[in-house]
Amino acid sequence: MIEVMFGSLWAMLTSPQTMGLMLIAVLLGLIVGVTPGIGGRLSIALAIPFVFGMQMIPGAVFLLTMHAVNGTSGQISSIMFGVPGDGDDAATTIDGYPMAKKGEAGRALGASITASGFGGIVGACVFAVMIPILEPVVLAFSPAEFFLLALLGITFIAFIAGGENIFRGLIVGFFGVMLATIGTDPYTGTPRFAGDYLFLWDGLSLVTAVLALFAVPEMIALGVQGGSISAVSRETARFSYRQLFEGVLEVPRHWWLALRTSIIGAVIGMIPGLGSSAAAWFCYGHAVQTSPNPERFGKGAVEGVIAPETGSNAREGGALLPTLFFGVPASSGMAVLLGAFLILGIQPGPKMLTDQLPLVWTLIWALVVGNLIAITFLLFICRWAAMLTFVNGAMLVPFIVVVVALGAYVAEGQWENLLILVGLSIVGYGLLRAGWPRAPFVIGLVLGKIAEESLHKAMELWGLAFFLRPLSLVLIGLIVLTIAYAVYRNMRPSKALADLRIVQ
Amino acid sequence: MKSLLGKYSNSSMTLVMLGIFVVMVAIASRYPAEARFMPFVVGIPAILLCLLQLALDARARHRPPASADSPSDLERAQATASQIVGHQVELGASGTTEPQLSPAETVHRELVLWGYFLGFIAGIVLFGFWVAIPLFLVSFLRFQAKVGWRTALLLGVGASVALFLVFERGLKVQVHSGFVTSFVLDHLSR
Repeated sequence: MIEVMFGSLWAMLTSPQTMGLMLIAVLLGLIVGVTPGIGGRLSIALAIPFVFGMQMIPGAVFLLTMHAVNGTSGQISSIMFGVPGDGDDAATTIDGYPMAKKGEAGRALGASITASGFGGIVGACVFAVMIPILEPVVLAFSPAEFFLLALLGITFIAFIAGGENIFRGLIVGFFGVMLATIGTDPYTGTPRFAGDYLFLWDGLSLVTAVLALFAVPEMIALGVQGGSISAVSRETARFSYRQLFEGVLEVPRHWWLALRTSIIGAVIGMIPGLGSSAAAWFCYGHAVQTSPNPERFGKGAVEGVIAPETGSNAREGGALLPTLFFGVPASSGMAVLLGAFLILGIQPGPKMLTDQLPLVWTLIWALVVGNLIAITFLLFICRWAAMLTFVNGAMLVPFIVVVVALGAYVAEGQWENLLILVGLSIVGYGLLRAGWPRAPFVIGLVLGKIAEESLHKAMELWGLAFFLRPLSLVLIGLIVLTIAYAVYRNMRPSKALADLRIVQ
Repeated sequence: MKSLLGKYSNSSMTLVMLGIFVVMVAIASRYPAEARFMPFVVGIPAILLCLLQLALDARARHRPPASADSPSDLERAQATASQIVGHQVELGASGTTEPQLSPAETVHRELVLWGYFLGFIAGIVLFGFWVAIPLFLVSFLRFQAKVGWRTALLLGVGASVALFLVFERGLKVQVHSGFVTSFVLDHLSR
């Protein structure tokens, strides 16, 4: 184990290709994080065409690093201008913006960037510690459980993304699984839903579907909304590098809080269904509750910046665990990442622990090294990176649409994919307009093939009795409980939980 | 009409989904047993879910309408933050939100943007990427993002050249050259 662990680090650090890609990924991830209108999920979808055909490890490191450092730069606009980019950042704004208004923007930024990086590293460590603990559990899973895990994954994402109405999320998830059945049936060779269209015989292009469901609707929405996200003055926040350094030192000064909230964030990340902002809000709440002076919070307490940042970034390490070992993405961002991993030839599941352990360790190290590079970069450039907040959304739209079209074409080299792109974009925009979730679609599409294969194997091995296996019964119980709780919540909405879902 | 559309918009999506599942299950019923197994396993419960959703939509229509002043995401975040810290918290600076668009203006902008998108895709299919990209970028930047001709040309052509170098030269990807462009080039080369 130790040999694989450090061998992976050495191989990564000595590979100019992997390290070069990691540097690019950090830079792109930080830019995307601070730029309005492009979320982490969308940035991964847009990056997929560029990693197509790349080797497994450099491609996976590139995508994971980009995804992991995304949140590190997201809080800049929250602190400098009081404009939270998403739910995670809203928690940082509570104390970050008052600090900036008091003339301590540099201190708040230094603390938040360092805390974010620290959280990312602790999250990766928690993931590493969990490997030997989880190994016997993962290896005990059979095809029966993997089929049910796919259903559980869709149910969890439908639960978080569907809001008070889980059924909409389930319908969209099943739509994804249904589209995953397009193509030649592996058992009879029948071209399902493909007719004479040869380009569909290999199945629907995952890249095209993801771009159509996420990128195009987001771009149309951004174009409709127009303008930059902020109309506030660019001179709002004062800044000095001395303060920035003082802020960096706040994290070791509050190391016990940072460590606790990082672990809380990583554990929350492991639980599919606990929304992206839950970690940040839980950790913020924890910091308030455990502080001897809770009245300082909301008025510029530095602990109020450290806690949500460590928690939200540590979540990525935790979220990687169910994604890689069970094929169940813990969030919609991880779902897109999982889709990208499948395209690179990475098959999630127990084999990750047996055949692909060096890859797992490389990904853990990528989280650690990527976060260290991101902190270093951002501490130098955060002052200027903040200006990206004022980029006009309408200016970004055409460039992203061009990348989307190129991505949809390059993925398979088929012009017909452009027609699929249009068709699914219309569906995606319809879902966006009607307030339906889109994340379960990706999970369904990604897990569809795995689910079908597992179902066939389970039926061959045990027939319908596979539903009665002890682990199967546990998973079925979880699915039923999740749906039942969602229905209960729909009838008696709990304010606290609704608030935790602020922005998905 | 608008209120009617709003009232039934969620049901419309459910009906679209129901239609898709019904058609796919019907098509799958003609396949051999093993091939139709998965589409049935997924499609039939999905049809039932759609029917259940339609019933829920119908029930929701009989409920009193939600208040027009229902809290925004930011207001909900503020409420959560205030609850945690025990006093009123202001999230975000004043003047950070864009003015709300009227429904008519929203639909107008949506149609324009869809027009650009569909025109761009049609342009690629007919004339190829390297003709459609600069035309799309320049026209969008000039007429939609409202930048000057010089900036639009500089950004549009510059980005097109950069993408050409990355994809055609760097990644050695042969992109679609367009049916009309290929036809014309074939004729000219004869």
